[in-house]
Amino acid sequence: MSTDNEDDFEPIQVFPEGDADLRPGADSCYKCSTCDSSCPVAEVDDDFPGPKFQGPEQWRLTRKEDQEIDDSIMKCSNCMRCDGACPSDVPLSQMHNTARAQYVEESMSKLSVEYWRNRLLANYGTMARFGSMFPRLTNAVMGNSLVQKLNDRFVGITSERDFPEFATETFREWWADRGGAAVESDEKRVAYFHGDYANYNTPEVGKAMVRVFEHFGYEVAVPEQRCSGTPMFANGMLDDARRAARFNVETFADLVDDDYDIVCSCTSCSMALRQEYPELFDFDDTERVSAHTYDAVEYLRIHEDLDGELEAVDDVDAPDFAYHAPCHARNQGLDGQTTAVLSNLGDVDAHDVGESCSGISGTYGWKSENYDASMAIGEEMFEHMDEAEPETGLTECPTCAMQMEHGSDYPVKHTLQVLEAALTDRPLPA
Amino acid sequence: MATTTEVLVIGGGSTGAGIARDLAMRGVDVTLVEQGNLTHGTTGRMHGLLHSGGRYAVADQASARECIEENRVLRDIAGHCVEMTGGLFVKRPEDTDEYFQEKLQGCRECGIPAEVLSAAEAREVEPYLATDIDKAIEVPDGAVDPFRLVVANAVSAEEHGARIETHAEVVDLLTDGDEVTGARVQHDSGPGKREHGLPGETEDIHAEHVVNAAGAWSGQLGEMAGVDVEVRPSKGVMVVMNVRQVDTVVNRCKPKGDADIVVPHETTAILGTTDEEVEDPEDYPEEGWEVDHMIDELSELVPILSDARTIRSFWGVRPLYEPPDTGTTDPTDITRDFFLLDHADRDGVDGLTTVVGGKFTTYRMMAEDVTDHVCDLLGVRASCTTADEPLPGSENLDRLESAMDDYGLRSPVARRSKERLGSYAPEVLGTDEPNPVLCECEAVTRAEVQHAIGQAGTDLNAVRLRTRASMGNCQGGFCCHRVANELHPEYDAETADASLDELWQERWKGHRHALWGEQLSQAMLNHTLHATTWNRDGDDADVDWDAFAGPTRTATDGGSHDRD
Repeated sequence: MSTDNEDDFEPIQVFPEGDADLRPGADSCYKCSTCDSSCPVAEVDDDFPGPKFQGPEQWRLTRKEDQEIDDSIMKCSNCMRCDGACPSDVPLSQMHNTARAQYVEESMSKLSVEYWRNRLLANYGTMARFGSMFPRLTNAVMGNSLVQKLNDRFVGITSERDFPEFATETFREWWADRGGAAVESDEKRVAYFHGDYANYNTPEVGKAMVRVFEHFGYEVAVPEQRCSGTPMFANGMLDDARRAARFNVETFADLVDDDYDIVCSCTSCSMALRQEYPELFDFDDTERVSAHTYDAVEYLRIHEDLDGELEAVDDVDAPDFAYHAPCHARNQGLDGQTTAVLSNLGDVDAHDVGESCSGISGTYGWKSENYDASMAIGEEMFEHMDEAEPETGLTECPTCAMQMEHGSDYPVKHTLQVLEAALTDRPLPA
Repeated sequence: MATTTEVLVIGGGSTGAGIARDLAMRGVDVTLVEQGNLTHGTTGRMHGLLHSGGRYAVADQASARECIEENRVLRDIAGHCVEMTGGLFVKRPEDTDEYFQEKLQGCRECGIPAEVLSAAEAREVEPYLATDIDKAIEVPDGAVDPFRLVVANAVSAEEHGARIETHAEVVDLLTDGDEVTGARVQHDSGPGKREHGLPGETEDIHAEHVVNAAGAWSGQLGEMAGVDVEVRPSKGVMVVMNVRQVDTVVNRCKPKGDADIVVPHETTAILGTTDEEVEDPEDYPEEGWEVDHMIDELSELVPILSDARTIRSFWGVRPLYEPPDTGTTDPTDITRDFFLLDHADRDGVDGLTTVVGGKFTTYRMMAEDVTDHVCDLLGVRASCTTADEPLPGSENLDRLESAMDDYGLRSPVARRSKERLGSYAPEVLGTDEPNPVLCECEAVTRAEVQHAIGQAGTDLNAVRLRTRASMGNCQGGFCCHRVANELHPEYDAETADASLDELWQERWKGHRHALWGEQLSQAMLNHTLHATTWNRDGDDADVDWDAFAGPTRTATDGGSHDRD
């Protein structure tokens, strides 16, 4: 928990260094094991004890003075499927995130390669900021197979995967170049949380989001922002996450005051702002920002006649898609959204490739030691992609997209890009 | 069957086990008999408070002084049974400052370290304390596992040559004129550790002296010798919460009252208690309002308790005693001091001493007094060493703690197991065999269960109390059968099944007092799981077991497919 305001002493601040006491959360668990049977890591890794142990059991066995967290917490991929599986509202991912932060704080050597590798992965945005200053050079270096082998051997980042390429023009550069918002409105306003990936790697997703919302008459704001914190939670870097989250909450709260709602194109970013921020932090406006945050497509479905607009489109320059619903979309109840929305388009089919986890879970599948498990988890999705007719992938999560590409060699698009193609008559970028 | 011993101790609670250990260490040949398993009576039904003496510092300073002295002794000799949590006496606005000052003064007069904490300081120690408390006194209260402590005393006594017989009920005292000369006991299943399926037998144990340490039952034993022991059994309820809302003992700082203490105990917190006289220590009402009363009252100190999950409740009966003609009407006014009744002196009956009253925290001191008295009678000159010799399991704990071996267990499992086993940890956990966790709630492994079975035989409740298996939030729903399974193949399937049933019934006894909210869901899940997977809601007699025998396929075969 945050200890920003010392006077505001909350009962949740039990442990030293302001860590949360989540033992009472164990009261909700009646040990049914539904979480364990829905955990993709436990399914492929017999050494992983599963969310029931990581969460309610481990917390219940904890005492104030002994907080040694079992090292298996680092094997949790933070897919958060256990949250959705639990019939009894055990705050599983909150328990995992908090335990992981304690483990990193107390038991992981700050001099170890693992710590610095994780810190590097967790702070992808910082890495990307420098990398994208000279995108072609960075892409060439990171794409070099020797560099990849050295990374694998000495850093612990798998050489099996190709590093995502940096765009030659970031989303924010494009936004500044075009002079910001092209539509002004006092009633319809959204503040776009693009996250690092849409900015540095897939600006076309950000552009699609802007064009689709402008099509519906929204004034779009693109405020300064930091990483949502998702990779930081997943690596137990809670201090880094707190700094980023505080910045984001303060910035976006100001816009909420000016009647903006917050929309995200990445389902992990919306998950972070909506669920993880209030579970882990208590800045002044955390709850308010959370309550005003939406997934971009979800927002349009609530406020616009998206179905009607799409039904009226007669010709879309887009192929059929093999669609994968990211775990974090699933947790927000958005897993059926893309197929439902695209079913309004007569000549585009989004074929759902099943409910399994893609296996990459952000930074998890990038770690050398997790690569095999990551691919084993993804196996079911790969098979379904292979069996389905379409040869273009579709998903809302950037790392699920990496995994889909990696396992199938299909190009992978974002739902907003299909909407852009349908509504603004632009061809789907290659 | 007849045997002889120098001293026969009746009662396997803290007092009896303490006396047996002390006598044995002084070289006396001693036999202890207990009707159930160790701590079957009051010792096994307490809240597990290791008194600092603070609770008695105003009204009963002699007891308070004994408590702080023994508190220090137990930390030394019984480290693996004690958790030094510290304690708080918390003053709410409606409690008087006068009493707070008396409490503080009393602690200081009795040599109990006591510090005043402001409300903010107290809430820093215990963040779930109510926001409107005034202040608190911090004292060295602790938590103690009564069962582990009694077992350690019994094991130590055995190591010094004593014979410990559980499940051996005294059915009569043997007398010779005005002298008690022993007792007739009925073994549940033969002497030694309990083995179901063995027929019981009667044994006459002849002794030079008999010590009646039967607690709430000591009046009934007295009757067998024709002496009056005026025990006034008084019941108290204890409510077990699923998690530790506090890591410190929290007392309400006001004169005597019900529902004024929360004791962190292992993974749980125990709320206590009431004080109400009952007729029969074995048959008294257990009522819902008593449980509600605990939660309602203590929520004033720790508000989160009002919505917290309760996993069970249990009642204990204090063997309060007061000398004839004291005439106290309110049981809370009866002294907590102990009494040694020399029946030769008092009633003209030789060969029998009764010890009654007293407190768990000072059990060792009581045992020392009784042993001094008995040794005097027997002409034994050896002096008491029980305050200095660590109990089995508590030897060299510092050295163990620095040995970082986790025995291949996950860290919370290793930590909990090592704390329970104390110095037995390397021997028990250092197994080459696969060692899965059998009870996940309490982190108990197969090796620890096997070790307990080695001591307790088929009595799975004794195994439970040694290991804590089945004492967590599922109340045995997910582990009772795994524990029972460990009896096989040493014991046959029928014996294991009978033991399982016994354990399960005992779990239900306390579990049924917590059937609302989450624990009701738990009970229902346990029921449906057991019913659908092993027909435990059905009558075995109705099942045609023969239908499952033989090579024929069962009726679940869906018939032939077209492709077949």
